Amino acid sequence: MDTVVQLTGVSRSYRTGGRETVALDDVSLDVAAGEFVAVMGVTGSGKSTLLHCAAGLERPSAGTVRLVGRDLGRLGEAARTRLRRDSVGVVFQSYNLLSELTVAQNVLLPQRLGGPRARPLAEVLASVGLAGTEQRPVGELSGGQRQRVAVARALAADPAVVFADEPTGALDPTTGAQVVGLLRTAVDTRAVAVVLVTHDPRVAAASDRLVLLHAGALVSDGPTPDVAAIAEQLAAVSGAPQAASR
Amino acid sequence: MRSGITRQALRRHRWTLVGPACTQLLGAAVIAVMLMTAASLSAPGLSAADRRSVRAGGMTDTTAVFLGDSIYLSVLVVAVTMNLAVSRQLRDIALLRSVGATPGQLRWSVLLQAVAVSLPASLLGIALAVPLGSGWVALLRAHDALPDGVRFTPGLVVLPIVVGIQLGTSVVGAAVAGRRTIRSAPAIALSETSGDRRHIGPARTALGLLLVGGGIAGSAVVSALAADQADDAALFVLLAECIGIGLLGPVVLRAAAAVLRPLLPGGLPRLALDEVAALSRPLAGTLVPLVLAMAFAGIKVAARTTSAAVTGSPGPPAEVWTDWSGTAVFCAFAGVAALNALVTVLVSRDRDLAVLQLAGGTRRRLLLVVSSEAALVATTAVLLAGLAAGATLLPMLHTSLGTWLPRVPAPALAAGLTLAFGVVAAGTVLPVAVLTRRPALHRSGGAG
Repeated sequence: MDTVVQLTGVSRSYRTGGRETVALDDVSLDVAAGEFVAVMGVTGSGKSTLLHCAAGLERPSAGTVRLVGRDLGRLGEAARTRLRRDSVGVVFQSYNLLSELTVAQNVLLPQRLGGPRARPLAEVLASVGLAGTEQRPVGELSGGQRQRVAVARALAADPAVVFADEPTGALDPTTGAQVVGLLRTAVDTRAVAVVLVTHDPRVAAASDRLVLLHAGALVSDGPTPDVAAIAEQLAAVSGAPQAASR
Repeated sequence: MRSGITRQALRRHRWTLVGPACTQLLGAAVIAVMLMTAASLSAPGLSAADRRSVRAGGMTDTTAVFLGDSIYLSVLVVAVTMNLAVSRQLRDIALLRSVGATPGQLRWSVLLQAVAVSLPASLLGIALAVPLGSGWVALLRAHDALPDGVRFTPGLVVLPIVVGIQLGTSVVGAAVAGRRTIRSAPAIALSETSGDRRHIGPARTALGLLLVGGGIAGSAVVSALAADQADDAALFVLLAECIGIGLLGPVVLRAAAAVLRPLLPGGLPRLALDEVAALSRPLAGTLVPLVLAMAFAGIKVAARTTSAAVTGSPGPPAEVWTDWSGTAVFCAFAGVAALNALVTVLVSRDRDLAVLQLAGGTRRRLLLVVSSEAALVATTAVLLAGLAAGATLLPMLHTSLGTWLPRVPAPALAAGLTLAFGVVAAGTVLPVAVLTRRPALHRSGGAG
């Protein structure tokens, strides 16, 4: 299968108050089309930084990131933004929707900004269980519904890959499972690749492949085991016991 | 705790509070200049001949009109910018409420912020008024609008008046915004759930319609007065219409967006229309100074030009110069006020702009979206100013000059349109160009 995300020797460090903090340390990772990858690690392990670098939202300090075959290091800010608009969907924990606009207006944002003709709006909304909500302002929706809008926006342009940064972090377990189910369906039915960052072993259990990070380094990469085994692996990596569920 | 909250808010929102601070500085300077000029025209040391000359030249009335306009515009824009600045603190206020701050503590904090912004800005504005006023009176003398004996006499008597106006307006604007913001349930505010902020209440709609309708009816009444009385009364008619337009502004902007929607193709123009409709309330605050300045300038220019065309006399040169320069000063003030309000609105949209960037909007496309929004706001302002000026001026022209046809010189019209579109473009495009330089991820709150 085609590789849609390729990180080679990626490092990212920050300088704050004269001190250098290494957030990501020489990480290499390939993600193929139609693959669902969960990235886990304790707080500060570099999960979000990895996702931001892979999605072109942040530039790595060293290494190469290729996204749908394009070397992000060779692209300017505008070209990276266009690539993200046309080929990538991003879902955040904090939704990042425009609360004054309606559901339809939010989902169509990438298209309105010049992106490719989206899948029919009604089809996209139906696929995330929001049929008939087109004209509702997103500010009136529940958290779970808003995250569905964010997923719909990410999937509307039929992207090659969706990056999801703790998409269930603000949701209850049932609603969170529904949102992850939407991403799983997109992988299974549309061959979208999904890279999902999470703290929750139950969320990670929906993936095909589990990547564990610790102190910015990739320490484990393999098929996703069951929930209990994920929790054990995470605890082993972080050196602390981890509950299997919230 | 109260002063701690205020200090924290002043530090955290310092850039948002720069808007109202600049407006208040400028407003205080213009009001103080006009007050000191008015005092200079009746200074005790003035000779009887100079006093007669001042009265005959109509400078007392002209100064009073400019003073009234300046106070009105300052009150309006200070209230709008302070209101916007406080509304921006919705999330912080919700956080403080959730950790135990009482509504009373937060109300005091908001009022203290208004005082902390207003007091130094007003005092600085008064200090600035001394050289500005001195220059203004010197120019009036140089153009024979004032006799040589008139000297600019700065006085501390203006201090309580200017500080009172600015402080009062700032506190009221902040209190109104604070009341609404503090009343929002913390959980709702923190979850970014918006109420229906697009629609205005029935009382506001009724008052807006009443003022616009009353203004139009007032024009007919004013047209029956003697020319000099009509000139002064027309200002109040225009003010009433402009307040009414300001109150109805959100409805007007949404209607403009609705009219244009079927005419425009998808993509960026549609996104701009969606944004204008969604942000109609804050954007309406920027309409008022633009409409007032353009309508006021339009009336002044059209009345003088039409009178010159019909009677064949342009009027005394000193009077003409005073009219033109006073109108230019007033328009510059209104332009800066509008610019300020626009920048305040744009800065409060930083997170939304970041979301658009994360959704795939390049900086260039974002600039195109806000340029389209600016074009719609400016066009709406020009049309409303034309309607307000026409409603006020035409009955007067018909009564005093027997014509319904106002004359406006093409260069003046072009200058007015350039100023209006330039101000709106500068107040929207430049802030976006600056704001979007920072990474969208950090501005959206999605970096978490």
